[in-house]
Amino acid sequence: MDRSELIRGTLFDIQGFSVHDGPGCRTLIFLKGCSLRCSWCSNPEGIASVQEPLYQQSKCTFDLLCMKSCKYGAITPVGKPEPSDKSMASEQFGTAGIGRVSPDGTILPFNHVSAGELKDDTVSQQGLAFDRSLCSRCTTRDCIAACCTGALKLGGYEMTVDELFDRIGRDRPYWGDRGGITLTGGEPFTQPLFVAQFLERCYDAFIHTAVETCGNIPWNSLEPALPFLDWIFFDLKHIDPDRHHAHTGSTNHLILHNALQLAARFNGRLVFRLPVIPGFNDDRENIEQTAAFLHKTGRKEINILPLHHLGREKYSLSGRSYGAGIFGIPSKEDLEQIREIFTAQGINCYVGSETPF
Amino acid sequence: MIKTESSHINYYGHQPGSQVENREQKKQITQRAGAARELYFETKSSVSMEFPYWYTRRWEELEGEIPVIRRAEALKSGFSHLTPVIYPGELLAMSKSSYLRGSYPMPWLSEAFFMAAEDKLYKEAQESGKLTADQFTTMGKGGGNVTRSIGNVISIAGKFGLRVEEMPVMIEIAKKWKDRSVDDVGHKYEQLVPGYSEKEALMRSVICMFDSGYTLPQGREVINYYYPLQFGFDGLIRRCRTRMEEVAGYPEMDRLYYYRATMILIEGLQQWIRNHAEEARFMASIETDVPQMKEYEEMAERLDWLASNPPRSFHESLQMIWLLHVAVLNEDAISGLSPGRVGQVLFPFWQRDILKKVITREQTLELLECMRMKFTAIDCFASMGVVGGVLSGNTFNNLCLGGLKKDGTSAANELEMLILEAGISCDTPQPTLSVLYDEKLPEEFLLKGVECTKIGTGYPAWINNQVAMEFLMANYGHEGMNLEEARAWSIGGCLETSPGSWMPLELDGEIHWIPGGSAPATSVGVHFLSLPKILEVTLFDGMDMRSGERIFPAHGYKLDTYDELWNAFRDYFRRACHVLTLTNNIQHDAWRKISPSLVNSMLKPDCLEQGKDIGQMGCRYNATFNIESCGTANLINSLASLKKNVFTDKTYSLNEYREAILANFGYHSAQETGSYSLIDQIPNDGYDRWKKIHRISLDAPKFGNDDPFVDEIMKAWETWFCTMTHDFRSLYNEPMYACQISVSTHGPMGAVTLAGADGRLGGTTFSDGSVSAYPGTDRNGPYALFNSATCWNHATSQNSQLNMKIHPSVVKGREGSRKFLDLIRSYLRKGGFHVQFNIVDSRMLKAAQAEPDKYRSLLVRVAGFTQYWVELGKQIQDEVIARTEYEEV
Repeated sequence: MDRSELIRGTLFDIQGFSVHDGPGCRTLIFLKGCSLRCSWCSNPEGIASVQEPLYQQSKCTFDLLCMKSCKYGAITPVGKPEPSDKSMASEQFGTAGIGRVSPDGTILPFNHVSAGELKDDTVSQQGLAFDRSLCSRCTTRDCIAACCTGALKLGGYEMTVDELFDRIGRDRPYWGDRGGITLTGGEPFTQPLFVAQFLERCYDAFIHTAVETCGNIPWNSLEPALPFLDWIFFDLKHIDPDRHHAHTGSTNHLILHNALQLAARFNGRLVFRLPVIPGFNDDRENIEQTAAFLHKTGRKEINILPLHHLGREKYSLSGRSYGAGIFGIPSKEDLEQIREIFTAQGINCYVGSETPF
Repeated sequence: MIKTESSHINYYGHQPGSQVENREQKKQITQRAGAARELYFETKSSVSMEFPYWYTRRWEELEGEIPVIRRAEALKSGFSHLTPVIYPGELLAMSKSSYLRGSYPMPWLSEAFFMAAEDKLYKEAQESGKLTADQFTTMGKGGGNVTRSIGNVISIAGKFGLRVEEMPVMIEIAKKWKDRSVDDVGHKYEQLVPGYSEKEALMRSVICMFDSGYTLPQGREVINYYYPLQFGFDGLIRRCRTRMEEVAGYPEMDRLYYYRATMILIEGLQQWIRNHAEEARFMASIETDVPQMKEYEEMAERLDWLASNPPRSFHESLQMIWLLHVAVLNEDAISGLSPGRVGQVLFPFWQRDILKKVITREQTLELLECMRMKFTAIDCFASMGVVGGVLSGNTFNNLCLGGLKKDGTSAANELEMLILEAGISCDTPQPTLSVLYDEKLPEEFLLKGVECTKIGTGYPAWINNQVAMEFLMANYGHEGMNLEEARAWSIGGCLETSPGSWMPLELDGEIHWIPGGSAPATSVGVHFLSLPKILEVTLFDGMDMRSGERIFPAHGYKLDTYDELWNAFRDYFRRACHVLTLTNNIQHDAWRKISPSLVNSMLKPDCLEQGKDIGQMGCRYNATFNIESCGTANLINSLASLKKNVFTDKTYSLNEYREAILANFGYHSAQETGSYSLIDQIPNDGYDRWKKIHRISLDAPKFGNDDPFVDEIMKAWETWFCTMTHDFRSLYNEPMYACQISVSTHGPMGAVTLAGADGRLGGTTFSDGSVSAYPGTDRNGPYALFNSATCWNHATSQNSQLNMKIHPSVVKGREGSRKFLDLIRSYLRKGGFHVQFNIVDSRMLKAAQAEPDKYRSLLVRVAGFTQYWVELGKQIQDEVIARTEYEEV
């Protein structure tokens, strides 16, 4: 067996015609596994580094076929059983217009899934609970084969460098003159060997390469890929280590260290990114300190991204709770103020998708 | 990875799901066109009996006269008796009838549906299966449609209003045409075709929708404005007289009558124009507002001049092409009469005016907006099934931009930039715009097109110039089409590649080669074959299980292998094409004998040179008959599912599939649920028994995902279909070609089709177009869809069609425009023939469905054309909402 076949990446999505993650039209490659636990993460299915069953309660008809098929007894019904009016047609073709009926008879909108409601709110909701510690050891995934409704799916799939390269090669005609690929996730550099090899393949094929990283990775995971990268988005969540820890599960020491290293040694374009989380990192002090830090790096570009809760629905899929519901959405004016602070410090600040690339 | 719909919306600064994402800021319409638009919004589709009365009266008087002369006299009488109406503020005058949104029945084509429901004729027609389609077509409830009778106005076909007092006239005139109309005469003789009963069964089962010969015998073609622009009407009469004298008494005497008929017709048109000049003078005489009075006087002068002479200015040339357009529309039931590359035809006039400073760019824009309002008010009177089912009320006046000049350089010009600009500021449905994309077009022009697409009107559609030229060279080469001439093409109707020719327009001693249509209707022949229904009938050995009727004799295959299934399907498809080609040829023969085209023939090269009308092959290119398909993605997905689950994996037997299809996979019927979209279907008590097979069917490979398993089936189908059509011969003894646009037939055709092996439920709408994925099944993004769509050579077909819905946030801003152009260009470079976009939010569409009045001006792109949302049938609305949105976080 060729050595390269042994190096397999774990992905959870590939998305063509992405227009907000680098220059031109791009194909986004989402890699599984992350070294941070940001409460507002919009891709919770990308946090775990291994494949996992994803359970969508709204598509479940509670026929318990999956439970019967599970050898480990990892699945248990939760809540009061009641006849369901859900259909496969609705799950296959989107959930628009499909509501759920709550016990008191009111109809909830289809996207009304609050954080952790399957676990915490067993009285009002019917669903299935998964013992994820057992699931993580399962290799046969009988439950997914047994499911008829599409409520259960396997999150994540593996690919070799060659397979991924072939796959994105089919997208290549559509990128236009400036486009290419962007690795994101998850944190791509949690799979350093795969990432470096894949980027080298792209470099050899004259494909424009970008990566979006949280920076919370050992420098030697990042360094081997640098010669093959044209563009890096580097996230800065908070400049204060303790505040950073409170909502990401980690301090920012390694991140800031890597940022300075990168700024000094990376030849491509380095654009910082700041998710704007009101009440967490949008205060003037943090913004000014972030700007000051940027000055230290010598790179002058930051892209601020307003918080959104659109990933909220995906949390229950992998049995997680959404902790960022407490944060509001930044207003256009808030973002404009932040932009002005950066601009005053001589830093180019791009708001949301309004970027010059 | 599970995606949920709302998780991929890029919203900005407000709560998710709480607000409708609005489309980008629009440019302001001029005051004049704005007033015309307001008037249009207030106006309902109206039918008058004026033209048919005078036409029929004159026809009756000339019993025994040579048919083409009789036809010319009848048309002349109709035109010269139309009551002229001039609206205040108009810069361009004249319309189809005295109503702003007026049209009229043409009982000489078909009189059956003019009769009241209780009328015996209607019942006869119903029994013969012709009107089955009507029963399964729902018409949009809002807008300018007269959906029910109110007060003094009767609703006709759920769309048109007719004054009560004209109703007896309509019935009386219709009766005059009984047994004499194209429909009746064609029907009499088509029954002589061996196997005719099979045709009736095909129509009753709605495997085929609509006869071609009497429904819309003209249209789906490009008009040619050259001769009147160059010579004027007096000049044309002189040319006819000269030619008439040359041929009088010589063999091929039909030429003599043809020239005489054309002269009679032109006299009628001149009278019609002068009547409007007279009306303008009258309006001036009673007008107290001085500027308006002056406008009326100028209008009168302009029309008087144009009644005899070629235009002298851009304004006059625009008035000339508009009145020619109306004149052609008034001679036949026509949809899809495309003005073609108007910006290039009129450019010499405009450029001269700009240089002489007799017109400004602002005035040009105002005129072009006024032109849009005129085109938007065009209505076509046809039966409910045709208007709602095929057209969705749209008349497809496709205006094309870009492409190449005669010498192979870019044809885009500044006037076309202004046409795009007017399309942005005056975003009405007609004329719909198409960019003939070529690598040689300048970036600035393309980005202007993108800007127009981005406002969400659905136009311009993006068409591949080189692919079309390749098709034209292959299809018309034997008639003399060469590379230079292929460059003169344009889209006729919504998406029909139509041949054109270069005409030498002489202005101030300089020759300008202008493009114009040079072939008859390019979409007549076998109309809309329902591919999924033919597969269904194949599975049940020739039976239509919905009605219990046998459609075809047993095919004799055991269906033990996939190849047998494929062969059995192809046998039935070929059978259907065979009988329908023959019967339609007979109908078209009846059409050319009873109702020969005179206005359109006069304009098309080389009818006047040859002395032959369109029906006598007077046009330069005549290989224009087609075979149309509908529901391609559902056919391909069903074949893929059967190939995988029955013949490869052997998970289920064919019999188990038959049972599941008959049980509708354990769901209530779409008629019961009242929605034709798959997402709204409800399971019944038998659901548990079928859910496994339904799951397996839904999980089978689906077209649009860059999956070789299913794309190979697509390729095999397209390769076969685009070749086998050549085996059939048109009325003009030319090979036929494949045309793959569903227009709006995928709704009503889906309604009569049982569930499919692809997991589609019975009665629900098919996928639209030929390379669009079935809603919700293209889950790998647009690039995968593009790869699947281009797995076959689009130049072997008259067209292919790809519709995409894109959320505004994806293409926001200036960078968004460039990336959008990258997306469009890359698909066309890959060999795609056509792509068009809905840039709207599905929540907006749902809201519009619930409250049509609030969304009166919302435009939606459906299956090759643009139409107001509220005027679409509910089936099509459901389908658009379900279509996958390409959005991102």
